Amino acid sequence: MFFLVPLGVANDNSQDVKEKNQDSAVKFRGFGTLGIARSSSDQASFIRDASQPQGISNGEWSARIDSILGGQVNWQLTNEVMLVGQAVSRLRYNKKRTPEITWAYARWEAMPDTSIRIGRLGADFMMLADSRLVGYASLTARPPADFFGPLFFHHFDGVDASITKPAAGGLARFKIFAGKTQEKTVDAQNIWDTSGSHVNGVVADYWQGPWQLRLNFAQVKFSNSLDVSPLPDLLNSAGSILGLPSAFAAADALETKNTTSRFYSLGVVYDSSGLQAQGMANCIHHEAGLLQNSCAGYALVGYRQGAFTPYVGLSAWKSTARGKITGLPAVAPFDSVNFAFGSVMNLSHADQHTLTVGARWDVKPNVAFKIQWDAIRGNSQSVFPFRDEQAGWNGKTNVLSVVSDFVF
Amino acid sequence: MCFRLCLTLCFDAMVNKLLRQFIFVTMMLFSAGHAWADLVIVTSEATGISTLSKEDVINIYLGRYRRLPNALPALPIDMAESSEIKKKFYWRLVGKTLAEINSYWSRLIFSGQTQPPAVLNSSEDAIMRIHRVPGTIGYIERGNHSKLDKRLVVVFELGE
Repeated sequence: MFFLVPLGVANDNSQDVKEKNQDSAVKFRGFGTLGIARSSSDQASFIRDASQPQGISNGEWSARIDSILGGQVNWQLTNEVMLVGQAVSRLRYNKKRTPEITWAYARWEAMPDTSIRIGRLGADFMMLADSRLVGYASLTARPPADFFGPLFFHHFDGVDASITKPAAGGLARFKIFAGKTQEKTVDAQNIWDTSGSHVNGVVADYWQGPWQLRLNFAQVKFSNSLDVSPLPDLLNSAGSILGLPSAFAAADALETKNTTSRFYSLGVVYDSSGLQAQGMANCIHHEAGLLQNSCAGYALVGYRQGAFTPYVGLSAWKSTARGKITGLPAVAPFDSVNFAFGSVMNLSHADQHTLTVGARWDVKPNVAFKIQWDAIRGNSQSVFPFRDEQAGWNGKTNVLSVVSDFVF
Repeated sequence: MCFRLCLTLCFDAMVNKLLRQFIFVTMMLFSAGHAWADLVIVTSEATGISTLSKEDVINIYLGRYRRLPNALPALPIDMAESSEIKKKFYWRLVGKTLAEINSYWSRLIFSGQTQPPAVLNSSEDAIMRIHRVPGTIGYIERGNHSKLDKRLVVVFELGE
């Protein structure tokens, strides 16, 4: 009898643990988007963000930019520790869809309001940025390209820590993160390997009722140069021949290695009783003269009517030209160097706004169809959000998208 | 004649009385039934709390903050996807359809943030879990609460 009592307690405790962990066995989940889109202009190809090497153009329907498939495994080791792995297949810098590991981390929740994650983590550079591949989680067919377009970072290897506390009648969360990127992107001609670049940042969230406010700061110190050869060598040579410091300065402006880019953003979301509204703004400042500083913003409103949620949005993106010149005379052979320098310095220029109109149809609890029309209106120099710009590019195109988002 | 008139009047009065009683009882039953159908958030006495605010329930069920007023970790329980009570719960709590709730959770799950509540298939399973693990909270219909277990502590009532 004396043995039965503790045995009973032990059984009860083990049952508790078993029940706590019952939901924690290894879980596999997935998400995806099957989408086709067409862009009316034949003078430039529309892309989803700067990580995509190819876009859509000429009114041809294509599944290239929006189709995504992801799978995720969660393994709850203990009540406090979870392992998470995620792989995603999407159009990448090398024009292939080879799945990449987007998450691979251990999460430790010592207490319900604190979390530490170590491993490969989402790049939480802006509000909603770390879930922008999950179409089912979004109202629109794709994240507004004017806002998320320049952000090609999706993950980094490192650590983040967050704490959540009640504050001023709502909830406040503070998060810091740091690590190194392992990603590559592509410019007009070359692959830019940013692997090993240091990233760090802070995130502050505040929730009250249906409102969420987010402030973000993140910075990246690039470990590698964006290859614009042989232009720097030409500028340095010309500078030596003519004794022009401005030519050396122009060559220095093309260097991205060991320069830092800083991302500032603010986001507000309202979500209640079928009404969804989002407003966000960001500014990106680059030390590298090659990359133009930019600011962007968008507003989006949707209202659910049964299973349908029509929405309308307006976004804008504008960068500032650096105004750098080589100082080389406008005669051969220096005029061609000047022209090349001007072209390269304009590669990251954006000056456009987009009107978005669409509707989401939640056909089943885990499946949604969306149809969306984007009217992009920019000037002829707005080339960064596009690929393959032709001489006749006027900065204007209309993008029609039909997508099916799902989770499982 | 007088007797027949009296009998008729008495009969009419009796019918009217019965009719009034029937209507009263029916209304009481209807209103009682309506009240019993209300959703309540329950936990066990061992959890050590007597009430939660609506904001607390929202924060716990939406994964924003899972700590009870007495600092114990909150362990929310959800019902199966197909259950009517789950639809009713989220609709009344935050005015969202299950599709919207799934969309919300897909953002958190696939961005590596918090996990959704544990899912059980029936109120009976939920109540067993609630009794077994302090800190567990669940939503059930008040009728089930009365019928199944009076030891549960109602910490929040979710009206229409």
